[in-house]
Amino acid sequence: MHGTLNDQSLIYLQIARMLEDDILRGVYREEEQVPSTNELSRSYNINPATAAKGINLLAAEGILYKRRGIGMFVAPGAAEKVREKRRAAFYDGYVRPLVREGASLALTKEELLAMVERAAEEGEKP
Amino acid sequence: MNTGILKAEGLCKSYGKNEVLKDLDLEILPGKIYGLIGRNGAGKTTLLGILTGQNTKNAGSVTYDGQEVWENQAALDQICFSRELQGSAFGGQSSIRVRDYLRAAAIYRPGWDEEYARRLLEEFKLEPKKKIGALSKGQQSMVTILAALASRAPLTILDEPVAGLDVVMRERFYQLLLEDFAQTGRTFVISTHIIEEAASVFEQVVILDQGRILENCPTEELVDQFRYVSGREDVVDEAVRGLQVLTTHQMGRHKTVAVRGDPVKLEVPMGADVDVSPMNLQNVFVALCGHGDAQ
Repeated sequence: MHGTLNDQSLIYLQIARMLEDDILRGVYREEEQVPSTNELSRSYNINPATAAKGINLLAAEGILYKRRGIGMFVAPGAAEKVREKRRAAFYDGYVRPLVREGASLALTKEELLAMVERAAEEGEKP
Repeated sequence: MNTGILKAEGLCKSYGKNEVLKDLDLEILPGKIYGLIGRNGAGKTTLLGILTGQNTKNAGSVTYDGQEVWENQAALDQICFSRELQGSAFGGQSSIRVRDYLRAAAIYRPGWDEEYARRLLEEFKLEPKKKIGALSKGQQSMVTILAALASRAPLTILDEPVAGLDVVMRERFYQLLLEDFAQTGRTFVISTHIIEEAASVFEQVVILDQGRILENCPTEELVDQFRYVSGREDVVDEAVRGLQVLTTHQMGRHKTVAVRGDPVKLEVPMGADVDVSPMNLQNVFVALCGHGDAQ
């Protein structure tokens, strides 16, 4: 885990998101243990109840699972689940704001699509 | 280990004609860290003093685990109130040495952890022989923090523990607090004016305003009920219709309002051409307790 907390969204959501990021990046692999509530509380100076809420959210979504008496582990297929979840949120969270911003700049649909295509091509280059 | 609920009902307190607490009810549940926030003169210290049987009240009751707190040694043994030290040149605790202050705390606190106290004394680099009046404001705060943590009391109350501490020491204090809390699960009530950096430490926040409890709820649940909405005046007005508007800020046609509502309803106006941004605990506090002073 890394990164810092901000006040742009609720802390337990940020904790959940940071764990998801680390699962996508392979910091925590399937069947590996993730930091405990107390470890998260200590490293981010947050209330353990808040850290627990973030972890429980991922457990409820089947991304983490509990081994009794040991701790929380990354579920099989967790990375794919995170990707699916983010794909579902991608349209509302990224595509629509992009289109809205384009419209307020008076970009035509064609211009916007051309930009997206260009970015997709350039994305392959360093 | 700790099951006692601290309960205040119908508390009233006046100093002369000045009504400080007005028919106040409050419940502190075990095993949580509470933050008590309120403006200057809101009645925080008075309230904490009454909750711990150190101040008199005009009306109402305070119970811990069902037992009246006032002059009840069994209940008071469970509760530690670490007051701000009065270290001015005259009076207060200014002529007492740190060593003697802590010795007194050790005698009065049944659960006193001498080993923990020594460790903190060393970490804070406090000189036991120094008089409290000769310490800086920050060092005085460290003494109160030390006394509170080492008390190991099931319910520990700290009044402005971070006053005068630099940002490094404030962070260290919250670390120590969370470490202790993780080990013991005891209840803490902490009053502070430095809200934002403490927000993530408080599971529960209590807002005291003009002698009454305005809010007592989980910190994140409270904060999530508020948003800033800004944009062109008429579009903003349309978007926030039906929501409770707390503050309004206008610059020409640009308008920013702070609104409160059900978190789900707050997502509804997002279709409109307005910017919606979250508020932090400090913003929420100003919106609720500013009473126009911040304009």
